[in-house]
Amino acid sequence: MPAGVLQVKIITFIFLLAGSSAMASDSAETGAAWFDPATLPTLIVSIISIIIVLYSIYSVRSGREFKVREIPGLKAVEEAVGRATEMGKPIVYTPGYGGDIQRPTTIASLNILSSVAEKTAEYDCRLIYPTHDPVIMAVAQEVVKEGYIKAGYPDRFNPDDIFYISSSQFGYAAAVDGIMSRSRPASVFLLGTFEAESLIMAETGNSIGAIQIAGTDSTIQLAFFIVACDYTLIGEELFAASGYLSDNPSILSSVKAQDILKVLIALFVIVAVVWATIDSSSGWWSY
Amino acid sequence: MQTRVPLLICLVFGIIMFLQYFSAHPVARAIYQTVTNDWWQVIFAFTLIVGVAGYARITLKKLGQGRDVPYSLVALGGLVLMPVLALIGGTKINSPFMWAFENMLAPMQATVFSLLAFFVASASFRGFRARSIPATILLLTALIVLIGRLPLAEMISQYLPKATFWIKDYPSMAARRAILIGIGLGSMATALRVILGIERTYLKGE
Amino acid sequence: MITLKTRWLIFSGLFIIVTLSYILKISMVSQPSPQVEKSFDYLETLPESTIIMVSFDHEASALPEIQPISLALLRHAFKNNLRIVGLSLFAEGTAIGYRLLNKTAGELGKKYGQDYVFLGFKPQHIAAILGMGESIKDVFPEDYIGNRSDTIPLMMSVSNYDDIDIVISFADGDRTVYWIEYAGPRYGQQVMAGLTAAMITSYDPYLASGQLYSVVGGLRGAAEYENLLGKTGKGNRSMPAQTSAHLYVIALIIAGNIIYFRNRSRQGRG
Repeated sequence: MPAGVLQVKIITFIFLLAGSSAMASDSAETGAAWFDPATLPTLIVSIISIIIVLYSIYSVRSGREFKVREIPGLKAVEEAVGRATEMGKPIVYTPGYGGDIQRPTTIASLNILSSVAEKTAEYDCRLIYPTHDPVIMAVAQEVVKEGYIKAGYPDRFNPDDIFYISSSQFGYAAAVDGIMSRSRPASVFLLGTFEAESLIMAETGNSIGAIQIAGTDSTIQLAFFIVACDYTLIGEELFAASGYLSDNPSILSSVKAQDILKVLIALFVIVAVVWATIDSSSGWWSY
Repeated sequence: MQTRVPLLICLVFGIIMFLQYFSAHPVARAIYQTVTNDWWQVIFAFTLIVGVAGYARITLKKLGQGRDVPYSLVALGGLVLMPVLALIGGTKINSPFMWAFENMLAPMQATVFSLLAFFVASASFRGFRARSIPATILLLTALIVLIGRLPLAEMISQYLPKATFWIKDYPSMAARRAILIGIGLGSMATALRVILGIERTYLKGE
Repeated sequence: MITLKTRWLIFSGLFIIVTLSYILKISMVSQPSPQVEKSFDYLETLPESTIIMVSFDHEASALPEIQPISLALLRHAFKNNLRIVGLSLFAEGTAIGYRLLNKTAGELGKKYGQDYVFLGFKPQHIAAILGMGESIKDVFPEDYIGNRSDTIPLMMSVSNYDDIDIVISFADGDRTVYWIEYAGPRYGQQVMAGLTAAMITSYDPYLASGQLYSVVGGLRGAAEYENLLGKTGKGNRSMPAQTSAHLYVIALIIAGNIIYFRNRSRQGRG
């Protein structure tokens, strides 16, 4: 993206934010304010976070390099695709029942799908992508198709391998289990928002001897994935995937911004804990 | 043009939906409800038609090729049967549709859900090994929580249920909150990248 | 990797243990946990004729776990002559909710339209939750069986959340979060939850902050509630099966570690 376009977007964004916070006039009809004062702390923290992220993205122009530590789950993507190719078996990749296209977790999963699709195109390995959401199906078809085109093998793309199953949680889970049991994939990717179907799929993948790479934003299902899968992306490792796999400086810089924000939050928690220990009647940190 | 228009729509709507959160005004609420409910329902309905038609086509193709014949027949049968029952008898209580839902769909869903019990057993057998000190701590914690939730726990020791709740309310909650903070920050950064057009994977995989 | 034979042994063992626990009809008493006691005490102290809202926000797959919880709470509410406005924000929960309400109402001689009403399903759950803060009859102009809301006797004393003392959401997912986040802060509506065991920990932060009043969770929660109510139900009848399954898993974990250490010492010697 040209630098000027990004700058215009950032400036537009900041102006709209500043403009909205200035709109505190009452509506003559209902008496309701444009700005809800109860959300002020959230707005302040949001603006600080956005400024840090934007600054990190902008500072990459000055030539700063950002390095992301090795993430075993993402490093294993190439190994997983290679294994499937050697064994002549397909790969099953599914985004879980819990999310729809609006969720950042689903977007993060599609980022990894793009990278996996390029590799499967290159190695001529079948990629099966069952999903519970028809919107995700439509987007995934475009993502995979583009991956195959980028890899230089558009003829290898089969749109029938990316399909919608059912919007029912366990109908979807049973179908994915059936696909895994019959097609016996060498590698299984469980990346997205999962609910109760997570362990059902993970155990089925384990029982057929597939290498499994999983990642989710649900803390409950993470525990199941850690037990049942070979590699698990924990917490924001899933969101760092896009930068990790593409090595795009703009994306890597936003990952760095996440780390800065985490340090700030940790400092805030330490200060609040010490303050609460010394003066238990105080409550300045809560709202 | 092919990418600029979607990126512009993404930027404008991303900002609007972000700003409406901070407003209690009826206009802001109306915008939120219109976009997230009305428009989303329409988009979902049309993509559902595409998804179901696609699934039917793939299943018919498999039937034609003689692959997974029994499963394909069941899938197509269910796909046709439920709408037909709904059209004939409606969807109210005591209708044929509801009979099929309560006596076929609900038990099948509960059956697949109950597979979790078996899989938890096999995962526990495989996963809870004292391979290292952290793994041993995890193992002992799991045993305390498992025993503490039994009705027999009070008979063994009155401190077991208390220990269970303490583990749930303090160390477990602390770890979960830490992961949630990381996930929240990752979600925010990803959303910001999408709104600003830096992240374009959803848009033809760029 | 455990072999197929080992898996079959594990699965068969669990099946046998659970089946035996049902056949042997062992009885167990579960001491009530603080959350269940808090839920019970709240409904117990409500004056007669208080109106509560009950929302069935779960799928059919969660019915074996949610049904004992909902039956226990509904029985308690009807026993104390509370009036119930029922609805569902999940399509699959609609018929289930209607049936459960009718079942418990029939047991205690309650009359539809006067003591309880079921409004049915609303697909746009956020809009529905927010809309009911202004007018419930606008969101549900008719009830589930087609009666106009403004002709139902119970609904004549209900306008919005101001007339509802508490909302009880029976859920197996995140629908309860919408009640907490939209009905709570905007309209000051108190929310209680009946959840599957797997979802309890997800709502701990809301309990800690007071946004969620209390939770009755899982079969154990249902059993505890039934004991407080003094009426045995599916919760208590399922406790032996759940207990035996827990003990089986504990035995598997211990057995797995014995095998692991035995193999390790053999490799060490070899």
